[in-house]
Amino acid sequence: MASQSRRTPLERVEYVLIVSTLLLLVLFTLQPLLNLLALSFTDPSKVPGFSGLSIIPDGVSIDVWALLLQHPNVQRGLFNSIWMTATSVCIGVFGTALMAWGMSRPGLPGRRLIFILVLVTIVFEPGIIPDYFLMKRLGLLNTPWSVIMYKAISAWYLIILIRFFEEIPKELLEAAELDGANPFQTFWMVVLPLAKPALATIALFYLVLHWNEFFRSMIYLNDQSKWPLQVVLRQFVIEGDKIAIVGANNANNNIGLAQINIRALKAGMIFITILPILAIYPLILKFFTKGTMSGALKG
Amino acid sequence: MVASDGQRVAAALSDGNVPADDRQRGQHAGGLPADSLQQAGGFLRAVRQWWPYYAMMAPGLLFFFIWHYVPIWEAKMAFEQVRIIPPNIWVGLKNFQQLFSSPIFYQVLANTLIISGMKILFVFPVPIMVALLLNEVRNGKLRGVIQSAIYLPHFLSWVVIAGVFIALLSPTDGAVNQVQQAMGFGTTNYLTNTGTIRWVLVISEIWRSAGWDSLLYLAAIFAIDPALYEAAEMDGASRWQKIWHVTIPGIIPTIATLFILNMGMFLSADLNQVINFQNDVNASVIDILDTYVYRMGLSTGEYALATAAGLFKAVIGMILVVTSHLVSKRLTGKGVW
Repeated sequence: MASQSRRTPLERVEYVLIVSTLLLLVLFTLQPLLNLLALSFTDPSKVPGFSGLSIIPDGVSIDVWALLLQHPNVQRGLFNSIWMTATSVCIGVFGTALMAWGMSRPGLPGRRLIFILVLVTIVFEPGIIPDYFLMKRLGLLNTPWSVIMYKAISAWYLIILIRFFEEIPKELLEAAELDGANPFQTFWMVVLPLAKPALATIALFYLVLHWNEFFRSMIYLNDQSKWPLQVVLRQFVIEGDKIAIVGANNANNNIGLAQINIRALKAGMIFITILPILAIYPLILKFFTKGTMSGALKG
Repeated sequence: MVASDGQRVAAALSDGNVPADDRQRGQHAGGLPADSLQQAGGFLRAVRQWWPYYAMMAPGLLFFFIWHYVPIWEAKMAFEQVRIIPPNIWVGLKNFQQLFSSPIFYQVLANTLIISGMKILFVFPVPIMVALLLNEVRNGKLRGVIQSAIYLPHFLSWVVIAGVFIALLSPTDGAVNQVQQAMGFGTTNYLTNTGTIRWVLVISEIWRSAGWDSLLYLAAIFAIDPALYEAAEMDGASRWQKIWHVTIPGIIPTIATLFILNMGMFLSADLNQVINFQNDVNASVIDILDTYVYRMGLSTGEYALATAAGLFKAVIGMILVVTSHLVSKRLTGKGVW
């Protein structure tokens, strides 16, 4: 690449323009989020005049966060989201790994047929109404298991793992067989440890997928007490159901949560929902970025 | 834009081949010789050799059967009259006739096509440009910071993104309207305006995916042989000439693959996005096939009609995806799977 010293003034201007354009994109990406974060920490008395452009809290207060985190609906939503996501990720990672291991074995009778049957599910999706009736028939409606099981194994992540397992050097597997390991032991003691980075990537994929899931929860779960956080957030922010968070009694008497500006409450709710994603974001950057880059390089 | 993470990575990894049994048979580590399966008693031996693998695959196979194949059977409802007391009555194509003779259906279909078309035109090129710009940033640290920032929205749910945009576009204290007012343009309620709501879908999709989708293009750019750039520099090529004659030709296959992939998703237009931006005022212009199915089926209770609409989308969608896969494989050597 051309060294700095050989750059002409025109090239330097070009470079500044390129970096500025990207920094504008960064601003466009982060400003709306930082504005809401600042809003959620702003002194409640100053929220009404808080500008949509500002990204610095006007007088710091944690009232909004404290009130929301003590709110039974929010707590229940958090609890539901956490346990449902955790269960889904465990089922997803193990189910996908076990199936991918079998399907990656060359010579497995029926391998091609199974592969095609999996591909069909990617191509042909009969829609939400048949899914709904299946849940009804299985008696899973209004239970968290309808949401947990519905996308438990993703055909795409399955294909990724199959490709990964196919790359495992067969000498390693032969060595395990010579040591008298049966296929279960080989899987547990050789394949899984080798696949740790791939499994971590898949686990993160599933985690983001399930944490962000709202539509199936919305249609399968009638009981508000079973809702994950995304649906609680949706009811409050998208459908504008103020009472859901503020409470009818508070709203009528203008006490408690009703005294906090609704904008700040909404901003706080949004941030509580994305907090876990922010917490694992460094890991996401590490694994997703590397995975996608190496995949494309290989292809 | 609508491609999931798994799909993108799988497409990137894939050589586009379903494994062929004959090619790989006999390569099993320390297994039986390849011919054994064809010999007498081969079946029993195959069972003895392979049952542990089937046992391990069983939960997955069961999952795919129940959650993907039973719904296909349930979809027969599209050809039935649903009765409160079973059994349903077979009515053939009557539901489809009703569907195809309803003006709302065509409105919904048109909305879907318009929104998908707008996204292909205005969202698809953005990550390509972002990747080209990112590639010009020589300072690795600066590039890393920019990337970390612009990838973030991809990992947020549409509920969150819609919440962010509702705040951003608020007529009273949203940033956009505040800027607009300061410049003397007055305020616009973008979310309830039928003329602007589709653009809100486009812009929010750009917000969500411009960064993350550039990653695949960036990977393709990094895979270009550096010797090509050196040769171009020897010839005295400027920055733009290098982009035009080396970088862009180098990523054309990736662009083509992702373009075709997106074409295969044309009838989707992203339910998760639309359902969070929909309200009573704007519904007429952003009611898409999926939201129509949802409303008809689960709100109105027109199960058979909704299933028929869903099946229509599924069949056309299947044709689109398979066609796009075949076209992509022929043109670029890479398929959807």
